Amino acid sequence: MKTWKKSAAIVLALMMAAGSLTGCGGNKAKENSSNTDKNSTEDTAGKTSFVFGDTTFNPENEEADVNPHNTYAGWACIRYGIGETLFHYSDSMEIEPWLAESYENPDELTWVIQLRDDVTFSSGRKLDAEAVKECLEHLVAVHERAKGDLLIDSITADGQTLTIKTTEPRPTLLNYLSDPYGCIIDMEAGITDDGVVSGTGPYKVVSLVSGERLELEKNDTYWNGTPGFDTITVRTISDGDTLTMALQSGEIDAAYGMPYASYPLFQNDNYTFSSCATSRAFFAHMNFESPIIQDAAVRKAIAMGIDKESFVNTLLDGNGYAAIGVYPDNFSFGGDAVHTENYDPEGAKQVLEDAGWTDTDGDGIREKDGTKLAIRWLTYPSRQELPLLAESVQATLKDIGIDVSINSTADHNSIRKDSSAWDVYASAMVTAPTGDPEYFFTTHCLDSSAVNNGHYHSDKLEALEAEMAGTFDTERRSELAVEMQQTILDDNAFVFCSHLKMSMISKAGVTGLVAHPCDFYEITVDLAPVNE
Amino acid sequence: MSTPEKKRIRGRLIFFSLLALGLLLAAVFADRLTPFDPNAQDMSASLQAPGGVHLAGTDRFGRDMFSRILVGLRTSLLATLTLVAVITVAGTVAGVLAGYLGGAPDAVLMRISDVCLAFPGLVFAMAIAALLNGGIGNAVLALALISWPKYARIARSQTLTVKSSNYIAAVRLSGSGPVKMIGKHILPNILGPVLVTSMLDIGTMLMELAGLSFLGLGAQPPTAELGNMMSGGRSMLQTYPWVVLGPGVAIFITVVVFNLLGDAVRDYLDPHSGKR
Repeated sequence: MKTWKKSAAIVLALMMAAGSLTGCGGNKAKENSSNTDKNSTEDTAGKTSFVFGDTTFNPENEEADVNPHNTYAGWACIRYGIGETLFHYSDSMEIEPWLAESYENPDELTWVIQLRDDVTFSSGRKLDAEAVKECLEHLVAVHERAKGDLLIDSITADGQTLTIKTTEPRPTLLNYLSDPYGCIIDMEAGITDDGVVSGTGPYKVVSLVSGERLELEKNDTYWNGTPGFDTITVRTISDGDTLTMALQSGEIDAAYGMPYASYPLFQNDNYTFSSCATSRAFFAHMNFESPIIQDAAVRKAIAMGIDKESFVNTLLDGNGYAAIGVYPDNFSFGGDAVHTENYDPEGAKQVLEDAGWTDTDGDGIREKDGTKLAIRWLTYPSRQELPLLAESVQATLKDIGIDVSINSTADHNSIRKDSSAWDVYASAMVTAPTGDPEYFFTTHCLDSSAVNNGHYHSDKLEALEAEMAGTFDTERRSELAVEMQQTILDDNAFVFCSHLKMSMISKAGVTGLVAHPCDFYEITVDLAPVNE
Repeated sequence: MSTPEKKRIRGRLIFFSLLALGLLLAAVFADRLTPFDPNAQDMSASLQAPGGVHLAGTDRFGRDMFSRILVGLRTSLLATLTLVAVITVAGTVAGVLAGYLGGAPDAVLMRISDVCLAFPGLVFAMAIAALLNGGIGNAVLALALISWPKYARIARSQTLTVKSSNYIAAVRLSGSGPVKMIGKHILPNILGPVLVTSMLDIGTMLMELAGLSFLGLGAQPPTAELGNMMSGGRSMLQTYPWVVLGPGVAIFITVVVFNLLGDAVRDYLDPHSGKR
């Protein structure tokens, strides 16, 4: 009886195992066939399609939709070929006309911009000065950062001629107009509740689900060539491992934001890498509302306690280099034009010792007046290497007697606004998307800055910025940029850990996906299937 | 029961007890057994394959995986044992009180346990752990809150059975107070099933704790814990598999050993259930 039961159980188990295996096999076959449909090859109707996986197209990165007038969503608008700006950046980050044809700068407050005559919005409306005026007026009405950058006094439209007057001299107006928020959209077609807009780019939006997917189709009336694909799907895949496997399985054709640890899997003939040094930097904001961080010695010790070289070489796998200041090496005012603390654990210990932080209870963590030297490190996981930086810092700072507790959360944008909830906030931002040095300071370091997370204030910096704002001479601007960087570095208000090389990986069957130093040109009219 | 079978069952019990004891000793003395400081980073030795100085290789930060697995085992195992002890004691106390007292206390305690059981287990635990802000202690608390009702129910039903038996009536006639009654006559008689359940729960609870840590709701870095070690290495499953497989194998072995030990304890305490 017993043996009979046993063998029956074995037979049943085998049958179940076989059943589940065939189940898997069946799914796989199905997946494969759908992959070939989806791939950048032509399907039965002769249409070409392309699927792009992106880790950062989500509310976590303030890209909830593709409406350029909404926080950083302009990045999505320009990245996915929906919107275009009046001017754009060359590969060496110089300003070139795009939707504009030419410009004049008759006096310090006036800019006369001549627009192209052959551009239409995907809504069908012709792009003229009136349309641009409507768009920019709406932008400065709803977008705090743009309003502060552009300082627009009045805009007049006359045919294809747009005249912008600023309230103060604005030497970098064209740079700011080239920021993704400057994408020109048709305000008559409007902005839908989902945040969908009509731009002038090679692709137009079919549907959008925030934080999930964006469906695009070719803009047949595009002014600057024929887009290479009939349809494009952008999928938000915030988890790096999922993104890796999606590209391996062929679910997506190209990826942005691949974890560096996965690179070896794609370094072969089946995939193409496009890499570029960008001004994207991993850097830490110090919270000046936090009593511990207000202590200059603590800030200095933190700056001296971060092992940037190891982070770059090991955790970034060489896809970046240790940063000194705000800007990367290829900027004249970047790289070693400034100086800051080097990794020096012994020096950091001395600094803390001198400031009265000593370990009295022998637990390895320093104290002063009964306060433990413990900091809360806020960061977020969608930039895959930020949590690694946090863990590395945790170990090196512990060495010098600082206890670090890490909060790595997708919810960092609401937490960083509550200055009682963190001490150091590490983020990965592009420091010079406009090619001009002023951007970083106006965004992060001034009393008027929209994202001065740590409420940093420096009289000296405010004075320098006042001068920078009115300076047209590029050389003087560079000098000021160096001085301003040195000011925030001397205060250890920010610690710059590394500048990043950004890469996009695409299947070998796709051409024209090229990384750009500004990090926001991705899908362009040149993106196309490889002709065999 | 035939003697050889009894012998076999006892032999199994001793064998798995020894294995479990081995794991426990490894966990307790992890600090002395580790060849390296489990939290010491050495980026120049990052991602070395198993073998040589580093028995189980190193992780991304150059930390010795073998040391981390040992220390991680301690974190996981001690947290699991604490958790199982807490829910066994709390659940049994609640169950015995409910069963013995009956009436209003019974109704109240059982309705509370019903509420806890009304939510899908791990989801409820995740919600609690997230509310409490992670940490291994809070993960234990979260799992304890959802797991005690099982024990309360077993203890209550057993208490009800025992309570209505003749010898309890005899004890009552002899004038024993409630404390003596529960402590001396009820508890020893219901402990078998409760003990078997808790032994079998060790494996499950270890997995659930590791699961919470994997999701980032349990142990926080740099604490080594088997679940968060797997989570930290999961992006390297294809490139540097030992970073994930090491802690994975440790979880596997621990769960198997404690489950088989649970089985052996059950067979030993209740020989009939094994034959069915």
